[in-house]
Amino acid sequence: MGDTAIQPAGPAVPARLPGGARSVPYRIWADASRSGFMRVGLVLFVVLLAAAVAWPEISGTDPLKSAIRERFLPPILFGDKWSWAHPLGTDQLGRDMLLRSLIGLRYSLLIGVLTVILMFVVGCGLGLLSGFKGGWVDTVIMRLTDAQLSIPMIILAISILGVSRPSVASIILVLGLSGWPLYARVVRSVTLGERKKEFVRGARVLGASDWRIMALLIAPNVLPPVAFVAVLDIARMMIFESVLGFLGLGIQPPTPSFGNIIADGRKYLINAWWIATAPGVFLALTLTSINLMGAALERARNRAYAGES
Amino acid sequence: MALLGVLLRRLAQGLVIVLLTALIIFTLLRVVPGDPVRLIVGGMAPDNVVEEVARKMGLRDPLLIQFGHYAGGLVQGDLGHSYQRPKSGAIAQGGVYNDPTRGEMAAVSDLILERAPLTLQLAATALVLALLFSLPVGIAGGLHPGRWPDTLAFFIGCLFVSLPNFWLGIVLALVVTVQLGWLPSIGYRNYAYTLLPAIVLAVELSPFLIRSLTVSVAAVMREHFIEAGEVRGLGRARVVLHALRNASVPLLNLIGIQLSTLLGGVLVVEYIFDYPGLGQLTVNAVLQRDFPLIQGIAIVASGIFVLVNILVDVAATKIDPRLEY
Amino acid sequence: MTAIDRRLFLGGAAAAAVGMPCLNTDFFIHSAYAQAASKPIVFLGAEALTGNWDPTTHTNLGQLILESFVFGYLTRCPMRPEKPEQLNFELATAVNPIDKYTLEFKLRDGVAFHDGKPFGAEDVKATYEYGCQPDRAAQWYPGPVEVEAVDRLTVRIKTEKFGYPAALFYYLSSFLPILSAKDVADKKVLAARPNGTGPFRFVEQKGDSSILVANDKFLAGKPKIPGVTYKFVGDTTTRTLALLSGEADIIERLEQEQVETIQKNPGFTINKAISVENKYLWFRCSKPPFNDVRLRQAAAHSIDRKVILEVLGISGHASSAHISPVKFGYADVPDFPEFDPAKAQALLAAAGFPKGKGLPELEYYVSVGFYPKTKEYGELVTEMLREQGFPVKLTVLEVAAWGNLLYDRPGGGAGHMIDCGWCTGSPEPDLVLRTHFHSSSKRITGIVDPEIDASLDRERNAASTEERKRILQTDTLPLLAQKVPSLPLFTSVFIHAMTKKLDGLYIYPNGMQDMTQATLA
Repeated sequence: MGDTAIQPAGPAVPARLPGGARSVPYRIWADASRSGFMRVGLVLFVVLLAAAVAWPEISGTDPLKSAIRERFLPPILFGDKWSWAHPLGTDQLGRDMLLRSLIGLRYSLLIGVLTVILMFVVGCGLGLLSGFKGGWVDTVIMRLTDAQLSIPMIILAISILGVSRPSVASIILVLGLSGWPLYARVVRSVTLGERKKEFVRGARVLGASDWRIMALLIAPNVLPPVAFVAVLDIARMMIFESVLGFLGLGIQPPTPSFGNIIADGRKYLINAWWIATAPGVFLALTLTSINLMGAALERARNRAYAGES
Repeated sequence: MALLGVLLRRLAQGLVIVLLTALIIFTLLRVVPGDPVRLIVGGMAPDNVVEEVARKMGLRDPLLIQFGHYAGGLVQGDLGHSYQRPKSGAIAQGGVYNDPTRGEMAAVSDLILERAPLTLQLAATALVLALLFSLPVGIAGGLHPGRWPDTLAFFIGCLFVSLPNFWLGIVLALVVTVQLGWLPSIGYRNYAYTLLPAIVLAVELSPFLIRSLTVSVAAVMREHFIEAGEVRGLGRARVVLHALRNASVPLLNLIGIQLSTLLGGVLVVEYIFDYPGLGQLTVNAVLQRDFPLIQGIAIVASGIFVLVNILVDVAATKIDPRLEY
Repeated sequence: MTAIDRRLFLGGAAAAAVGMPCLNTDFFIHSAYAQAASKPIVFLGAEALTGNWDPTTHTNLGQLILESFVFGYLTRCPMRPEKPEQLNFELATAVNPIDKYTLEFKLRDGVAFHDGKPFGAEDVKATYEYGCQPDRAAQWYPGPVEVEAVDRLTVRIKTEKFGYPAALFYYLSSFLPILSAKDVADKKVLAARPNGTGPFRFVEQKGDSSILVANDKFLAGKPKIPGVTYKFVGDTTTRTLALLSGEADIIERLEQEQVETIQKNPGFTINKAISVENKYLWFRCSKPPFNDVRLRQAAAHSIDRKVILEVLGISGHASSAHISPVKFGYADVPDFPEFDPAKAQALLAAAGFPKGKGLPELEYYVSVGFYPKTKEYGELVTEMLREQGFPVKLTVLEVAAWGNLLYDRPGGGAGHMIDCGWCTGSPEPDLVLRTHFHSSSKRITGIVDPEIDASLDRERNAASTEERKRILQTDTLPLLAQKVPSLPLFTSVFIHAMTKKLDGLYIYPNGMQDMTQATLA
């Protein structure tokens, strides 16, 4: 769980990136969007996202407000106590499961996306630096990466969150810092090839600074393909966030998160199965949509490079 | 004897990495809020007792000196003693202080060794199940790129990777154990209790195996097709065999890398199924803030990571001598 | 079993030898025929043990339950609802009040500890004089005490020097396990393993299981079952599944939903009893903002305890006093702070925080896994307090982590509010009241209030039982309800579920069990 989805699987990491790469991200995107998986994933994701953003605002109910007399109402069409007011039923304190699941989805997505951005920025930044500068900078950064890759990050993450007080910010920080090394590795290896290219040498002759070259010439070529694959990591980080919540180390109740709702629901599994099941289905659907998109993008990327080399 | 030399160098590097891990964990656990001494003396102790015990234990020394002591013990195989678990094995709980009488605490290494076999059993079972499932699905997908077995493999991968392990564990425990009564799973009495947790872990692992297999087999197929293997009438079985041999290297690498996925899965799955292995020990150690135990487990885990990755590399060169160290 | 009645006993203040208990011959009849057919009982407890077997070092209920198997007590108090104040003799055979400050116990002859040491007066002396020391963490004693060993089988408990009546040790005698004098002399041994005179002998600790076997030489004859295994399982669902699958014979601390599940199955029975445990919302009274009594009152008026009871279902029983109905001196307090948002707002405004404005973030800790439904009602309480403007932040902790934050310390305990119950195996009310609200102990709240101290001293020093009851009901309990150092939320109903094969078990209202007569088919 500590690692990321962008490990070398088959030809995942190209030895060198073809020149004139400005079109590559576009080609990957165009290729991917021809895939049925991509379309299904995208539609599903947009629907879920829209629901998560809009429904809690327009439903007019409070996800934290309990209604003791309405507790343990089953989802619609199950049993005889169901009502349209609570399509997915209610929890042990009579709170609407649909609403709570959607709030959980909000936090989960927020944390997933921000975490991936954090590890993308840190990992790619260090990878660029390492690959471009070479020398001792490279050595230090790469040894650091090696070390972190052999540290069981999950243990570290749950230890830090278990001992300090978990908050959204600390969760993002801990998860983000646990995931950067693979990005650094991939970006470094691509940068190594890139910096030998003509246009880089040319820029240097013309007196461009290292930072300028890295930011304007190399990064735009190197990063987008990595970014496509980072989509898969959003799903992984969302799972991670829910695991933390499940262990009681994530977002603290009464604020709902997938993990803490499912942990609560576990107790009522026999009598009120929907409390644990509803958010689980939501989470699985969201993850499926992201993974469908991510996998389609990854395939398209692999095809793009396989075709060129 | 080049192999031996390389092996030694890798082991030495590994040792440095493990020590680095130890330092990082050690530092992090000490800079985060939450005084470990409070755990030792218990909730009722007044602050002066906390300070006294802390000084006596050297916990108010500079961090590096503390780490020096710890690392000194570490190289002799001493991982320290739990703050929460006495030698008798029960979980200790707050409320005690200033006791010369407090029972002797269990050695972290004993606690880990005691639990390790069950976790190994679980991990091995999961790996076997994952391979049993992934091999046919992945190979079929690779043999028919772009056709339905490929699509199926792709879809199964996407689906399995989208199932949160803890949720799947809960649902399986409810359906298979409680409602159908097919397989026991809560706690541990005999090997049967390993199966359901192992299935959950296998589901988590399979997507990666399937993906890797599909890609490798497809690549080998392309090669053979170009070399007109099909034309020469090479049997499909031989193609698969050859493909498997080639695919085994990335697969091995993958297993090395997926170790951390496996570890994460083990934590959650053991916790859910009340399976008395290392994962459950870890989660409880974290929830109870048992610092020496967390440290010990992290260090042992990183040692295993390092070792497995060395082994994977060695095995890979054995299979494919073209690979260099 | 021999029984005495407190009303008789303390009817006249310093009367001697009243209510000389008559011998109940049953006690010796059901004796030594250990049945080979019977299996050891597996009991799943909800609380982990402390790891230190010295009974004076903890207030851990799981361990108290285990101690009741291993140790002997001078008396036992079944606290049956129909006769709550009846005591049965165990290691004692008679009790005589000599004067207000002296209580004499006659001890049973021919009893031995599990390690072979014969039981005698020196053991009682060692136990009481050790346990009452102010540095003993458990703090069950009302104050220091001296014990005079008159002869091998007679002890006199003396409190004159310390200025409180010896009669307090009457009920306590059923709650203080008797240790061997030899062990008390060597604390390492005392901590390493439990050694008592009880019906079961401690054999070993295997992970989370404590293995006990029947004591051949138990004073009432060897128990019929060959042994008891106490296993800690922190998760209620796991305990339930273990019972249903036959891995456990008896489990504790169940909730409504699990009871419903178990009741659907004909092979099991449910035991339900109002316990001696009240659950409270404890305020940290020694630091702002809850050092201001008005804010504590405002919080109390913000909480609708009826809703909490509804969530608890069968695990809770309404309570309007700081002690459980099973305790001596209980009565509902007439002016108990009930849910009243208007009052809460008025008090908030009076304290300078209208609608809660200006209050710091208030930390509220609850545990999960041990007490039923704590997280659920923790969320409710958080919601109710927030509704009135208290900026409450809820933190749910695993039991051990919560336990480490539980107690008061200089400068105030962790956070601002914490959830906890208090459960003691004796009707003695001071085990709750004095322990928590007197400035000499103030375990969780850290409250120092001369008026409460004075009231507690008045109640402790009362000349007679009737007088004491009157003071408790008209003075101490109302005062506590008014000052709310903690808000009693409800009285716990203890629910045990067991297989129907288990017979002849008695469960005390604090969760301790008498398994000497039990059989497991």
